[in-house]
Amino acid sequence: MNDMSDTPNPADQVTQAPAEAKPERSRAAKWSRRGFIGAGVIAGGALVVGVGIRSGNPVSKLKPLVASGEGEALVNAWVKIGADNVITAIVPHCEMGQGANSTLAQMLADEMDADWERVAVMEAPADGNYVSQHAARMFVAPGTLPDKPNQVGFMEPTYDGLFQQIGKLADAYITGGSSSVRSTGQNGMRVAGAAAREMLIAAAADAWDVPASEITTANSTLTHEATDNSAPYAEFAEAAAKQDLPRAPVIKAADQFKLMGKPVPRKDIPLKVDGSAVFGIDGGSDLPGLRYAAVKAAPVVGATVASMDASAAKEMPGVLQILNMGDFVAVVADSYWQANQALAAIETTYSKSENDTANTETMFASFTQALDDAGTSGGTEKASYGDAAGAIEDAAKTVTAEYKVPYLAHAAMEPINCTAWVRDGKCDIWTSTQVPLMARKGAAEGAGVSADDVTMHSVFLGGGFGRRLTPEYSNQAARIAKATSYPVKMIWSREEDTAQDFYRPADISRFSGGLDEAGKCVSWNNVHCSDDEPGEAPLVEFYDIPNVLVRGAEVHNPLRLGAWRSVAHSQHGFFIESFVDELAHEAARDPVEFRRELLAKSPRYLAVLEGAAKMSNWGSDLPEGHGRGIAIARSFNSIVAEVAEVDMTGNSPRIVKVHCCADAGFVMNPDGFTAQMESGIIYGLTAAMYDEITIKDGRVEQSNFHDYRMMRMDDAPEIAVQIINGAPNDLGGAGEPGLPPAAPALTNAIFAASGKRIRELPVVKHFA
Amino acid sequence: MTPIFRRFAVIFAALLLASCGDDVSPDPIEQIIVAKPGETASSDKDDRSSDDMSLADGTDLVAAGERAFAACTTCHSVEKGEASSIGPNLYGVVGGKAGSKEDFKYSEAMAASSLTWDAATLDSFLANPTAKVPGTTMLAGVVPSEERRAAIIAYLSAQTE
Repeated sequence: MNDMSDTPNPADQVTQAPAEAKPERSRAAKWSRRGFIGAGVIAGGALVVGVGIRSGNPVSKLKPLVASGEGEALVNAWVKIGADNVITAIVPHCEMGQGANSTLAQMLADEMDADWERVAVMEAPADGNYVSQHAARMFVAPGTLPDKPNQVGFMEPTYDGLFQQIGKLADAYITGGSSSVRSTGQNGMRVAGAAAREMLIAAAADAWDVPASEITTANSTLTHEATDNSAPYAEFAEAAAKQDLPRAPVIKAADQFKLMGKPVPRKDIPLKVDGSAVFGIDGGSDLPGLRYAAVKAAPVVGATVASMDASAAKEMPGVLQILNMGDFVAVVADSYWQANQALAAIETTYSKSENDTANTETMFASFTQALDDAGTSGGTEKASYGDAAGAIEDAAKTVTAEYKVPYLAHAAMEPINCTAWVRDGKCDIWTSTQVPLMARKGAAEGAGVSADDVTMHSVFLGGGFGRRLTPEYSNQAARIAKATSYPVKMIWSREEDTAQDFYRPADISRFSGGLDEAGKCVSWNNVHCSDDEPGEAPLVEFYDIPNVLVRGAEVHNPLRLGAWRSVAHSQHGFFIESFVDELAHEAARDPVEFRRELLAKSPRYLAVLEGAAKMSNWGSDLPEGHGRGIAIARSFNSIVAEVAEVDMTGNSPRIVKVHCCADAGFVMNPDGFTAQMESGIIYGLTAAMYDEITIKDGRVEQSNFHDYRMMRMDDAPEIAVQIINGAPNDLGGAGEPGLPPAAPALTNAIFAASGKRIRELPVVKHFA
Repeated sequence: MTPIFRRFAVIFAALLLASCGDDVSPDPIEQIIVAKPGETASSDKDDRSSDDMSLADGTDLVAAGERAFAACTTCHSVEKGEASSIGPNLYGVVGGKAGSKEDFKYSEAMAASSLTWDAATLDSFLANPTAKVPGTTMLAGVVPSEERRAAIIAYLSAQTE
């Protein structure tokens, strides 16, 4: 370990320990079995409490990974108690700005009756025991989850163990799907916190020889009033670790919450304010002998490098190695600038690909053809109830519309990068990823070592948005580092990042709807091209429409596709809410009034709709040239309505305000949730207003922020967020659900202000 | 309800494509090793600079100096009439007085140095600016190679009326 860098580890990263217990700069907490030897995270010793806490206690396996420091003990694998009484939540998720890790610690701390000022967060190591099994279980088999928190069935240990096994097989250490709080938090951290508290009480009851039921807990302290006994948790940490794990620890009811539901400050604020936070691109920067790599992959999907002429590049200053890796070309140099300059001087030819002739026009033409072929009843059925075809025959009025959205890039501020060091049969990796175990697997394959010999160093992500669910770059960097044998920091240029993304799918969606005499929607028929994920994205069961048919048509995409913030909801939110708005207009109804009627049987949706309408003072007078638009969408189990106000008096639309009302069941940290709504709105509006990825001769035409622009401060609307806690035991996500209503709220507002209906994104195309 | 499996499937497919690739081996198809770390221009300047400037085979010193000066253009312009930026415009600097460009705010040390930029003075300044003029704001731009300095001075000498 002597030759390792002093790059701060995850404990340093996310620990906000009190001043008197400042964490040491430990190198211990790294993501591999071997890397964990000597994990002294908190000075002076600690105890750790588990993963699958109901499926056997894996403490003996995990202790060397997270708590092998002197005096440290593990109670279960999510909680660690230091001798200084600092409680560390061990969280199996990545921090990409969304703040969930701090909220997870908040949930654990509340159940544990911990002193929040002395709680720290540690990102779990990339080890199979730390798969996000609760996230996997929620998505795969939600029916097996306990209905209510304290109703634990006898199958529970089996389910939990089972999903941990599934997670291990799938390398499912995953941060995505707006899932961490509602899955890991609700079913993992809270239970672990409650279990730790019960184990501490049991240990104290033994020592004090008093009934466990008489011991109270608060501020990380155990108290038995009658005998005047009181002790910090740390005192009983070791003894607690020896207690049996409670089979069904009792978790709190909402009226007992002290931290949950409160806007407590995030634990990563100090690090991000003082600049000590280490992001992926910072990782490993002080490694001895570190050099830099610039890369360029074949620009057309399916093509490989056919020839490389590096005669000019190899004469350039600082150049160390030039590599033709088959699928990409790399230059390794003393500095990144030199590597990138030399890369630009390499002449490359590529093999032929079926996508060489792809361009945006022919691609959309093929989508249109697929929809034509599907007609009014063909394609893959995604929802069918009532008789949409019959009802439209009988309708008083028929409305049809077609909408179109482009491919989108993720454009995270931190470009794709990965630092790798391959030597002596081992590999060290520093990279921003939402899936560390998959990144580890890719690196292992690239480096030619086993996954256990890869150490993943925990770092903050400078934005994820789904791009970093696809960790192919760890493989790329490991292959370069294997060829050099010295450590290499590979950084993609912004151009490479824009051109080699896994894109949000482009889509065309067609609707025909029927209105009855009273102007109520009685028939809904939709066909679109994207392969929806999640599958519920194009569905409208919350609207009271009796006859619905939703279908998908299969198309060929000439680009690589991936998950983009809110995934298929990003397209369908726009499609559905645009069409509902058109139906309202054709029915000569107010858009809120029209939706109110359709949501009559969905009270939570209705409350959210009313909330947004009320916040925005819907119906009140606006300045000349201004208009309001409303949209509502359900995604990741959260219901969000937004009202956008737009000013159309200039050359292009200016978004003045967005009012957002959201019901995520129960919001654990209103401050963090509000930030995620704001962030989703800005991300959604950025794409809706400005952005598209287009293709010419199989290549992406955009390259950088000048032609794939971000919403800037002066373009950004004022945003207000209101939270409804509509279902305390049925939590929804936060990271994505703010996005889907943003685009249709904007375009509906443009229509209200100007009569111009935007059926194709981005908006700026219509105001060129 | 199996979206997460589908998501995993998408990710795995992508990972497999990207990592194993159908016909892409993890190892390079072509590997050109130009130098080992520590052997390149930045750390082995004599070797590299003589290559760069081709002084051995008698190439034009001014042209070699122009190439070497490229590193200096981040701060210094040599175009006649162009404004000073991070460093002063160096057009006509050779033979002139130190601290004499009116549009540049020099360090007190430089302004008070009363140096004349002849070849010898420039040479010693470029070899170690902060030693020659303690207090100068030219903290970057040490040129350790004597040949490189000579070439830069030759180039700067040519940047005059």
